[in-house]
Amino acid sequence: MSDRITVEELSELMKRTAGVTVSPEELAERTDTAFEEFGIDSLGLLGIVGELENRHGTQMPPDAEHCKTPRKFLDLVNSTLLAGA
Amino acid sequence: MSAPGTRRAVVTGIGVVAPNGTTAETFWKATQEGVTVLDRITREGCGQLPLKVAGQVPSFDASAVIEERILVQTDRFTHFALAAADEALQDARLGRADTEGAPFSAGVVTAAGSGGGEFGQRELQKLWGKGSRYVGPWQSIAWFYAASTGQISIRRGFKGPCSVVAADEAGGLDALAHAARAVARGTDVLVAGSTEAPLAPYSMVCQLGYGELSPVTDPQRAYRPFTGDASGFVPAEGGAMLVVEDERAARARGVPVRAVIAGHAATFTGAGRWELSRQGLAEAIRGALAQAGCAPEEVDVVFADALGTPQADRAEALAIADALGAHGRQVPVTAPKTGIGRAYCAAPVLDAAAAVLALEHGLIPPTPNVADICHDLDLVTGRARPAPVRTALVLSRGLMGSNSALVLRHGV
Amino acid sequence: MTRRVAVTGIGVVAPGGIGADAFWDLLANGRTATRGITFFDPAGLRSRIAAECDFDPVAAGLSEEQIQRCDRYIQFALVAGEEAVRDAGLDLTRVNPWRVAVSLGTAVGGTTRLESDYVLVSHHGERWEVDHERARPHLERAFTPSTLASTVAERFGARGPVQTVSTGCTSGLDAVGYALYTVQEGRADICIAGASDSPISPITMACFDAIKATSPNNDDPEHASRPFDNDRDGFVMGEGGAVLVLEELEHARARGARVYCELSGYATFGNAYHMTGLTSEGVEMARAIEQALDHARLDGSAIDYVNAHGSGTRQNDRHETAAVKRALGHHAYETPMSSIKSMVGHSLGAIGAIEVAACVLAMAHQVVPPTANYETPDPECDLDYVPRVARERRLDAVLSVGSGFGGFQSAVILTRPRERSS
Repeated sequence: MSDRITVEELSELMKRTAGVTVSPEELAERTDTAFEEFGIDSLGLLGIVGELENRHGTQMPPDAEHCKTPRKFLDLVNSTLLAGA
Repeated sequence: MSAPGTRRAVVTGIGVVAPNGTTAETFWKATQEGVTVLDRITREGCGQLPLKVAGQVPSFDASAVIEERILVQTDRFTHFALAAADEALQDARLGRADTEGAPFSAGVVTAAGSGGGEFGQRELQKLWGKGSRYVGPWQSIAWFYAASTGQISIRRGFKGPCSVVAADEAGGLDALAHAARAVARGTDVLVAGSTEAPLAPYSMVCQLGYGELSPVTDPQRAYRPFTGDASGFVPAEGGAMLVVEDERAARARGVPVRAVIAGHAATFTGAGRWELSRQGLAEAIRGALAQAGCAPEEVDVVFADALGTPQADRAEALAIADALGAHGRQVPVTAPKTGIGRAYCAAPVLDAAAAVLALEHGLIPPTPNVADICHDLDLVTGRARPAPVRTALVLSRGLMGSNSALVLRHGV
Repeated sequence: MTRRVAVTGIGVVAPGGIGADAFWDLLANGRTATRGITFFDPAGLRSRIAAECDFDPVAAGLSEEQIQRCDRYIQFALVAGEEAVRDAGLDLTRVNPWRVAVSLGTAVGGTTRLESDYVLVSHHGERWEVDHERARPHLERAFTPSTLASTVAERFGARGPVQTVSTGCTSGLDAVGYALYTVQEGRADICIAGASDSPISPITMACFDAIKATSPNNDDPEHASRPFDNDRDGFVMGEGGAVLVLEELEHARARGARVYCELSGYATFGNAYHMTGLTSEGVEMARAIEQALDHARLDGSAIDYVNAHGSGTRQNDRHETAAVKRALGHHAYETPMSSIKSMVGHSLGAIGAIEVAACVLAMAHQVVPPTANYETPDPECDLDYVPRVARERRLDAVLSVGSGFGGFQSAVILTRPRERSS
């Protein structure tokens, strides 16, 4: 498993844990669109964070679940994963 | 039911997801034709269990009616509830615009016997198979008994009274009565009913302790109440939601009044004490008729509980005779659930839906798989019986000891 | 003429002590009953603390058969029910059983038992197919929560309407509210009403972990439940049950019963917003309070004490503060408002009834229970939360509010018996 979370992985997680379908291409173009606009609420984001923690075997920072947009989310979790690597 | 004030509760919409039809229209067609759909259980992981026959909803595509975002956070019982609620509201021609201006005047009542068992089993498997961190965020809102009421309220923007009766079978009728009483107290409209999804492996294991379950594995012979072959009941999934509305509000909207919820009463005589249910059910019938201002002779059809054990069937036949007197031996009695099984709390709501449709069509649906009645009842078997039906009495008893009776009267 | 409803008996099983006296002693002294979980090994959980009841069913008077057949939450209800009926001085063999109703709430019902048998039949979650032969007797009684009201009704011989109410964390208030309707609208003269839950099990702890609703303050469990405090970080799971005997007022007077207070108002609404989220305005809870006041024919200014939902989550306490201010206006600032969850934790469906019991006892003693652990004010929670120490006060009318998953908002009002024009 890569130690960096890609737009592809986030797109897959959004579908699997929150039931929201956004293609990786579209997500890459819309990284500044609020999660809420995609239909992902606080519980949905908590589900994504939990799934990432299980996959990567590492704690995500508590702020991860408060990130408003995919860009902020990816920046935060990837800096955490890098720091942990 | 018009205890406080003069507001009358009426039915203006019906939504159904049943083993014999996933819309009210297909349900009614199969019901009045006496189609039986009881069959061997095919749901994943259920094959090795000693419970072999059930009424399954075979052709329900949840993703066709519910957004994926909601599907992932809900159990099958809530999928049924959302689909049935959508259909009922559409049937009542109640759109968002009708309630947006007065959200506190629109409420939701459901009855739930077992909640989101299938979803819960998946999460339990994650917890015990992999670890507590694998339990997802939706378990906290998918499994519990109030999931369907909450999801319907949010989906439709209904901020009125939201209730959940966690009940045995009779609770389905109690939920309709809850709605009628909320109308009497001032709420304009409620979605009310019950849906159940008890056919997941662990849920089925939990039901094996019910002594009233039929051990018969031939689907045509497994559930034959009121006959010498009565050997218990067959479980089912699915259910129905009704739109229960203040009569004046309905008339102001110009929608047809499908039926009046005229009376209800509930009693309790103890879990499994079926001989006592004779008196309990008779008391409930008397109470419901009194509230409806309805004489026994005015009852045109009885939708029976029809549990299917000799003792319970005898108690019900005697209760009908006790409460309706001589009329009890003449009034047509039917139990369409023998064709689809007993969906716990949802079973009497499906009966109430069928009763409303029977009032509308002047047609009493039959009791599939049943012939050679061994009780003094005019049970409608074989084919549907045309009759001028103005008043229907719906009966239900629960495995935990509740008895409930509901009187529905023709809408006009 | 409107029928009035009296509270004539109370029974409580709560963390920190069994029985209404022990419960009140805990509240009046501001002690907390929260601690590290002892029921199972909580290793791996984010929140490993809870308010557990030290409950011995034998010592509490239950028979061997009752203990065998009944889940813990039903045992709580039976014990609290016995105490309430005894406290009411009610000889149930001398009343018409068809006029006796039962209305009991629970949020998660038999989940704890369902989970323990699941572990057996699934070989610790190994596979989807389950081995039914490993299930233990009476499992079907855990499958449906209607067992709760049914068991209590059988014990007391009730033959009237018997219902189990399950609206998540407002179940307790709603069960009491439905009981009020049942007696007031004439379907029964007596209603045994309350709620019970025993949710301290791995699956329930894990599901609240997953949404970070519970406090992770595992190092300091006694001070972990901090409603309205700026340092609050979630609720602390609890368990317990409370049962009240509700009785039509003239019925109670005719048999010379002591009347604790009247149950005079109830309302519930949904927020139609989110299954777990709350708005910052609290419009729907405010509406429930206003309608409960109407039901009780009271003005908001008559309220002497607000028993808060006060779960101790960030969003709840702000939501609720906003709702109470919206409903009571300036009077909210002059009215003490406390959360007993600071002491007994949050027992999900049970807590609403336990809180109503606390309100009844508060009126009986004319004492407001405190919010334990309250130290640092949150600028957005600016009411009088009765920090740490109970307070004597004249209590003629008391409001209890609750909020639950599904978006449900409920309010109950209790008043001192008075002659009302009807």
